[in-house]
Amino acid sequence: MTPTHFTISSAFLLGMMGLAFHRTHLLSALLCLEAMMLALFIALSLWSLQLDATGCSTAPMLMLAFSACEASAGLALLVATARTHGTDHMQALNLLQC
Amino acid sequence: MAYIMLTLLIGMVLGVISVASNPSPYFAALGLVLVAGVGCVVLMGHGGSFLSLVLFLIYLGGMLVVFAYCAALAAEPYPEAWGEWSVLGSVLGYLLLVVGAGSWFWGGWYEGMWVPVDELIEFSVVAADSGGVALMYSLGGGLLVVSAWVLLLTLLVVLELTRGLARGALRAV
Repeated sequence: MTPTHFTISSAFLLGMMGLAFHRTHLLSALLCLEAMMLALFIALSLWSLQLDATGCSTAPMLMLAFSACEASAGLALLVATARTHGTDHMQALNLLQC
Repeated sequence: MAYIMLTLLIGMVLGVISVASNPSPYFAALGLVLVAGVGCVVLMGHGGSFLSLVLFLIYLGGMLVVFAYCAALAAEPYPEAWGEWSVLGSVLGYLLLVVGAGSWFWGGWYEGMWVPVDELIEFSVVAADSGGVALMYSLGGGLLVVSAWVLLLTLLVVLELTRGLARGALRAV
């Protein structure tokens, strides 16, 4: 595994771990999701650059567009949570009280 | 050049650790700006200046600005930075994890592996990544139309989520 490959893989996995082990805020989890998307963008771009395959350059562009869509949907959910529950704390999302 | 790339890649991992350790969202957004900036320079070092520019404009200038405005929803009187023990523990844990995983691999890393084979890619007539992106408009036109519809759908999804007042997830305020 080359150093660059190791770096982008570890960036993705660290973002995923930050999303899984979230603590207080919903916004922190969304930011970890964005970090994963960023690592994927850099990975796709480096793929097309290192293989000299210029046709693969459209993949990171489209991925960026769709990750912007996902971020906006996530932020709309965050705003809805803050409007109904008052904060974006994960403890406030406790309708399922087992 | 290899040392510059080493520093940039280490900077990228440290930035993602600063996001993943879940401090207060203000500081996590700062860490994400660092990762995006350093990632742009990594892409430029491999010759992808157009993709790096696109990342800077769309990601930092578009998405992260929106995240920064939404960080006002996460306002708290004593935001936790990376000095708090709960966050610092996560930072040290992730650092240990990355160094441990890296120690598995770095026996086989030599100086030439940090940069691509031809470092002198600054001089080119047709930049590779711009030419590739132009395919999105010619051969990939169908996918572009589909993406436009997806973006319109997302706009409608967001508007429906934040509707409030009558139906929707928000109470009437």
